[in-house]
Order: sequence, then structure tokens, then C-alpha cells
Amino acid sequence: MNPVVEPAGGLFRLSLKEALFIGFCAVFAVLGRMMLRLHLHISGHAMLVTIFFLLLARGSVRYRFAASFAGLLAGSASIFLGFAKNGPFMLVKYLLVALIIDGAGLLLPGLFRNYFLSALVGGCAGATKFFTEYSKNFMVGMDSTVNFQSSLLEAAGAIVFGVLGGLLVPVVIRRLKAYGVIS
Amino acid sequence: MPTVSGEGPAAAGDAARVGLRMLLALTLSCLAFAARSVPFLIALTVVDLVLLWWLRSGQLSLRRELKAFCWQTLVILALYLVRFQDLSGLGTGFRVSWQLFLALLPSMVFVRTTSQTRIVQALNRVMPCRMAFVLSTCLKFAPHLLAEVRSIYEGQVLRGARILPRDLTKPWHWLDLLHCVVVPAVVQSMALAGNIALAARARDFGTQPKRTCWPGA
Repeated sequence: MNPVVEPAGGLFRLSLKEALFIGFCAVFAVLGRMMLRLHLHISGHAMLVTIFFLLLARGSVRYRFAASFAGLLAGSASIFLGFAKNGPFMLVKYLLVALIIDGAGLLLPGLFRNYFLSALVGGCAGATKFFTEYSKNFMVGMDSTVNFQSSLLEAAGAIVFGVLGGLLVPVVIRRLKAYGVIS
Repeated sequence: MPTVSGEGPAAAGDAARVGLRMLLALTLSCLAFAARSVPFLIALTVVDLVLLWWLRSGQLSLRRELKAFCWQTLVILALYLVRFQDLSGLGTGFRVSWQLFLALLPSMVFVRTTSQTRIVQALNRVMPCRMAFVLSTCLKFAPHLLAEVRSIYEGQVLRGARILPRDLTKPWHWLDLLHCVVVPAVVQSMALAGNIALAARARDFGTQPKRTCWPGA
């Protein structure tokens, strides 16, 4: 009888355990977004959990496109489970944030242990809200100046909360490494 | 191990119906973006209302969505007022807000009136089977994971961690929440992922290119 062994993942291959962990990060991102409806009327505060969990998904596994996979799962889950305020645009929102994180993960070694870099990437990922908001409003034919101001307003909040989400990641990654949960 | 694919005709029909509803919701959302004239928007609103009636969603509450619509309309109208310095832009602003509301309404109606299992069955047809498995498994185990998080939270509160809602009004206590709840929850989810992966591997998950199940299941 063959022993049941879960093969380890790598830079280009995702093991089932890692895929499931990334899936849990995606689910946490969606549920956190739902629970974080604090009625603060501050734009972009949901970006805190989104960026935190997508950065965590990428920082905890070696797979290079972990954040994109998590973004894809989170987007699909939120579209079809009713947490999507923006319908199909939700997938694009998650994917853009995830692509920034994956890109930064490729270009910046040691990103997930460095507070400054994590905050910077979190801010950049939050800034993607400007493009999604702008294109959504552009598609419904909003005046370009109003659209620019409105998108800027939305993106400013998202950047602040993205930076905060990014700052939390090195703390968690260090603790996980100290416990030996990730290598 | 029997690896016969086993989706009955009834399940296949259900998945097709859910897929059709999903497609209808996405089409209506896309049409809302394309609608630029008031008659088109009125027609689309009527179609959405017919859809609501057809789905027998009498108990479906639209209060939260209508509240969001009012708030969004106020913000957009204020911005248009600032931009044009008179009332001429208000009509366009209202139309934009109306369009945005119609874009989200069909998806919201769809997800509120379709069970999660059926959505996942339909997703299986459009996603790679491994991804659909991961998504459905994670959604299935999400309540279990949330219960774990809740018990971790309660345990930490009993130990005196300053993570009660009134403590969390002070931002310097947020790090306690991170250390006492988030880190253990992540460790727990990693352990759960390992267990599920091992159980799936023991049942020969991934040995066949297509998803398989026990006959008659």
C-alpha cells in the first residue's frame, strides 16, 4: 500500500494543502470584508483585510502567483455569495490588488519581512482602487472631472488602509516563522 | 477505488438552470452599464422588477441596498453640484447613480435566491475542477473555521486579552487582536488545510484529470 503523502509545493507548483490555505485566506478576505461593514462611511476601509490576507497568502507559500490565485478565489466567492457591491467588477478589483502583490513579490526579495516595503506595496495595491472606480464610473458615462475627483476620494482611503494592512503582515509572518508553521 | 463520474441528469439540469440564472444576472448587470437613456433605464428597471417577482423573493429585503443607493446618490449629486456650480448636472448625476444601482441589483438577487451548493455545482462547469474543489471546500469549512476563531477569541478574552469591542476602540489594542486572534487563526487554518489535503489525497484526489465521485453519489 502506498503511503499517503502530500507532495510539497514550489515556485511554480501549488500543492493541495497550499491551495486550500490560500483558499482560506481568500474566504477570510471576503468574510472580513463583510464583517468590517462598520458603517464608518470611510471609503476603502475594506481594503485593510483584502490587502492583509492577499499579502499573507503570498508571504506564507512559495508559489509565485499565490496572491493572484487568492484574488481569483476571493473575487469569485464574493461575486456569487452576495458580498459584491460592484457585481462583476469585484473580480477585477481583487485581481488588480493581487497582481500588484505578486509583481512586488517577484521584484522585491524579503518583502514580507520588511515593514517599509510591505506598507509600500499595500499602498500601491490600495491605489488600484482609483483605476477600478474610474473605469466603472467611465462605463456608466460619468463626467470626467467628477469621475476623477470621486475616484481619487475613494482611492485615498484605500491607500491609507492598504498601508495599514501591509504593516500588519511582517508581524504575522515573523510569528508564523517563529512557530515553524512556514519555512 | 471506484472512479466513475456520477452526476445524474437531475443534478445536471439544476446546474444548467443555475448557470442560466447566473448568465442572466451578469447580462443584466452589463446592460446597466450600457444604458445611457432614461427609457432604456426604465425598461431595465422593469425587467429587474419582473426578475424579482419571477424569483418569488417576496421576503427579500432591499432596505440595505436602497439605503446604499440613497447614500451613493447623495455623494454623486454633491460632486456634480460642485463640478457644474448649478443644478444642470443633477439629472446626469441621478442617472449615473441609477445605473450603478441597476448594475448591482441582478447579482444581489441571484445570490440571495440561489443556494450555495447549486452555485458551486454551476461553478464546477466553468472553472478548472481543482479550483472549484478548493473554492467549494473552503466555503464549506468557513463556518467551522469561524467557530474556531470565535473559540480562540473567547479563550483569549478569558485570559485577559484586551480585545473586547470597547477595548478595540483604542487603536493601540489592535496589535493584541493580531497576536491573540489572527495569528492562532492562521495557524489553525493552515493545520485544517493540511488535514483536508491529506484526506483528499487518501481518496486519490488528483489522480484523474477530471473530477470523479462514488457511483450514485
